This record gives sequence, C-alpha cells and structure tokens, in this order.
Amino acid sequence: MADSAVMNETSSFDSGFLTQLSRHMDVQRETANARPIISSDNLGVHYGRKQALEGVSLEIPIHRITAFIGPSGCGKSTALRCFNRMNDEISSFKMTGTITLDGQDIYGRGVNLTALRRNVGMVFQQPNPFPMSIYDNIALAVREQKGRVPRAELDSVVEHSLVQAGLWEEVKNSLKDSAFSLSGGQQQRLCIARALAVTPAVLMLDEPCASLDPISTAKIEELLLELSADYTIVIVTHNLAQAHRISDQVAFFLMGKLVETGETRTVFEAPRFGETANYIQGRFG
Amino acid sequence: MNLTATNRRAQITSILGTVACWAMAVLVVGVCVFIIGYLMQQGASSISWKFLSTDPSGSIAEGGGGGVRVPLVGSALLIILSMLVAVPLAVASAVYLAEYMDEGRSLTRIVRVGLEVLAGVPSVVFGMFGLAVFTLPALAFVSAAGADNHSDAYGRSFLVAGIVMGIHVLPFIIKVAEEAIRNVPRSYRSGAAALGMTKWRAIRKIVLPAAGPGIATGIILGMGLVAGDTAIVWLTLGGTMTMAADAWWAPSNALTVLRGSGSTLTTFIYYNSPAGEGNSIGLAFGAAVLLIGLLLVLNIITGVIARYQARAGRAA
Repeated sequence: MADSAVMNETSSFDSGFLTQLSRHMDVQRETANARPIISSDNLGVHYGRKQALEGVSLEIPIHRITAFIGPSGCGKSTALRCFNRMNDEISSFKMTGTITLDGQDIYGRGVNLTALRRNVGMVFQQPNPFPMSIYDNIALAVREQKGRVPRAELDSVVEHSLVQAGLWEEVKNSLKDSAFSLSGGQQQRLCIARALAVTPAVLMLDEPCASLDPISTAKIEELLLELSADYTIVIVTHNLAQAHRISDQVAFFLMGKLVETGETRTVFEAPRFGETANYIQGRFG
Repeated sequence: MNLTATNRRAQITSILGTVACWAMAVLVVGVCVFIIGYLMQQGASSISWKFLSTDPSGSIAEGGGGGVRVPLVGSALLIILSMLVAVPLAVASAVYLAEYMDEGRSLTRIVRVGLEVLAGVPSVVFGMFGLAVFTLPALAFVSAAGADNHSDAYGRSFLVAGIVMGIHVLPFIIKVAEEAIRNVPRSYRSGAAALGMTKWRAIRKIVLPAAGPGIATGIILGMGLVAGDTAIVWLTLGGTMTMAADAWWAPSNALTVLRGSGSTLTTFIYYNSPAGEGNSIGLAFGAAVLLIGLLLVLNIITGVIARYQARAGRAA
C-alpha cells in the first residue's frame, strides 16, 4: 500500500503548456452509474508460449472514455485488440476467459466477425487511409456495410461522418482529392470518420496521437470528448497527461496484469497500489 | 591533433574504384547503343508505310520481297492470345501466394520450387512440349486437322502458340504480380479488417486496385517476352508467311485463322536472315527495327506507370 505522504505529492498532474489548448481539465465524469457495455472476465492471452495477459477482469462503461495506460509491452494494446478479435489474425494467438459485448460472449459460437467489428470500431496508431479519395474512403466503408446505396444517401452519410470527426469544414470542397493529400492529423480524423461511418457502439483507438503534433493531438482529444456523448470510447495511450485530460476511467496494465482500474481522478490522485503511484509519478516508464 | 593529414593511397584507390565502375557502366551502355544504332542504320531504310501494310511475298524465287504485315499482325495476335491465357492464371496465383498461402507448410515449398523450375525451362523445350501435346488427336480442335496421311493433329497454330507462350511467361508475371501485392502496406488490410471487411472483399476492393500498377507493369513486361520469343513460335506456329485465310480480318474467318499457321516478327526475321530461307536481309533488319521499337514502347509505358504510381503517392 502506498504511503499517504507520497499520495499528497501526486495530487494534481501538471500538463504544462497544453493546458491552454485543453479546456477540459476537470471534465471527468463519474462512471458508477454508467452500465458496462464491454466486460472481460479473467482474460488471458498467449502468443505461442509467451503469456501476454493474465487474469484481466474489467468493465468498460457506456458513453464514457476509458484509457488503458501502462509502460511499453504491458499488454494494453493486446487487451484492446481482443475486444474486436483483431488478434484472431495472429496464428499463435490463444485466449482464455470471456469477453462480453452487450451481454454476449464475443468469442462464442456463431458470432459473426463482420457484425462484431461493425459494432466495435478501431483506429490505429499510424493513420491508415485507403489509397483512394477522401470521399471514397468513407463511401467504401458504407457500401461494404449496406450494399448498393443511392448517391444522395451516400453523400449524406459521408458528410455526417466527416462532420462528426470534425473534418468536414476542412475538406468539403476537396472530397475527391486523394486521402494522402491530407496532413497526418487530418488523415487520422479521416480514419475516425471512416470508423464512425458504420455506426459502431464502441470506438477503440490504439495510441491514435502517437505520431501527431500537439495541435493535432489537441484537436483529436477535443473530438473524442464530444464523441463520448454518443459513443463509448476506449483509448490506449502511453501519454499519461492525455489519459488525465480526457478519460473518465483508467485501467493501469503492468507486465500483462491489470493492476488497477478506477475513476481517473481517483487513480491519479489516490492510487491504491504502489506500482500505480510509481508509474504515474514517472518513476518508471 | 592534425586535421589536414592525408592518406594518398586511400585517395588513389578511391578514385580508381570510382573510375572503374563508371567505365564499366559506359561500356555496357555503349554496347546497347551500338547494337540499336547498327540495327537502325541497317533497317531504317526498309521501313515505309508500304513495308508495314503489304504482306510478305512468299516466293523464294523473287528473293522474298513484300512487306511485313502478316508477321506484324501475327505478333499482335500472339501477344493478345498469350495474355488471355496468362493474365487470369497469373493474377489468381499471385493472390493465392501472397494472401492465402501459409509460408510454413511443405506444400508451399513445393509450389515455390515448382514455379522456379517452370521459370527456368528453356523456351525451345516449351515449344517441343507444346508440339508433343497438341499433336495428340484429341486436341485437334486447337489446330488444323492432320495432314494427309497422319492421324496426328497438325499441332501448330496461333491457338497452340498462344497457349504455350502463355504458360511460358506465367512464372514471370506471377513473380511480379506477387511482389506488387506484397508491397501493398499491411495497414490497408488492418484498416479493412477493423471495418468488418472479409479478407476476400479487402483483396478485391483495396489490395488488388492498389497493386494494379505493379501488376500492369508485369503484364507489359510479359508482353515484351512474348514479342521477342522465337523458339516457341517457330515450333508451335510454323513460319508460313500467309495467314490461313486470305481475308484474315473478317470475324467469320476468325476460327480458321486462329487454328491456322502464320508468323510473327521474330520468325519473319529468322526466315529472311541468311540462316533461314530467304536472302532478303534488308527485310530482316527492317523487322528487327520494328521489334526493337515495339519493345521500347512497352518499356516506356512501364516507365509512365511507375511515374504515375509515384505521383499518386501510393506509399502510405
């Protein structure tokens, strides 16, 4: 158990000059009244002989932002990728325990991967727009989901997704341009728009701002805060300041185990475990 | 601390090395330029509209005059036929090899070794193989029926040559196409999977279009291989200077022409060279110039595709 004197020192996290960009320092919401939309029970993951996760049991509350934090290699990305079964692509992947989405076991018999992934969307660390126009990136996602769609409806869905991702004003006159003509931050917002176009319930982001400059990062953080009203957000981040800025709940992973979860303010200001305190104070990383 | 000390020996060796490399490069380029230049000089005088648009006169007594129209059309026909055979097979194989085949299995090794062996088979051996297979009576529909007192099929026709040639260039196109597909970044596939697209849909809608320019380059280079091959053509098409039907352009004659014999630029060159039957070496040089021109055009097209690919910023 941590020393209470040490606890007093960690009462607030200094995020430096970015405080000016972020208006949302104290916006964390309570999570106790938000029902869990995803929950894992004793989740364990092996890649061949190597154990990546052990005994991970947590709940992701609906319409909140949950951040997975922890040092490199701690298993937070592995855990994230279990929730949309992206780990299935890896041949040595073995999983134990259960994960439920809206009460249903996602690894159960008869679960359709396509249906799962349309309910749990994912945005990756490096922006990965398809090699086509901005419009087509989103249109492809919509057509894959709905089949043939009348042009008017397609236009409207594309516009709505880009508006939601905060990108519409910047690209509305250049929708036919290649996605690669956008900056890194814009490309990442395009990927968010594309993920939103299939109307998932949960949006997962794996270190989405790792390759972006602070201003693009701030824009995306603001975007996520707005989106959490309608979507459940799970974000993996190695940036503690970011987790503190935007998340309502954090889950701290260390060496494949889930050490602590709880409301962000509580975990940052009064963590229950010494390792959590040490990590948050930067004693290791 | 002496910052100005020099090592004369290292400097001299360095300069010699650079000059040697440069000289070798100049030598190689020089040989290429010389060959093309010599051909142009010898054959340019033969090129004229008349040359391109008249058929070769078959008579040896006349010393083989006339033009090159039949062989020119023959080359084009052969390229089209062989690509019709090779392209679907090559693209499908490349997709399988790049996307579905599991690299660890022993079946994979067998397939890869098989392709390597196929790539190494000399074209003349392919020609013999084609002749042996297509003279089987059962395959008579592909070529004209057997000559008078033979029960075998004739075994030589545009169709036969097209099929054999297609198989000959198959390993090459597969290799280029597979490379192009593998070069498509993994991130596209991850993005597609995260959206719920199945592997096949992702291949169809994202991977193959992205690999398109690379695959096109492979096909065009394959066309170059077909245009330049002589052994297979000589063995499986023959060297007749006329098409099987006089009005070969008429659609109703299509089957006759395809099942009949003919020639291409390469066999025309052979025919008119001192090694062949004719004595009109000028015609041979003219056809050689045409062939080189065709190959240059194909290579320029691949260059255009490469520049288009770079401009479109395919790299993520």
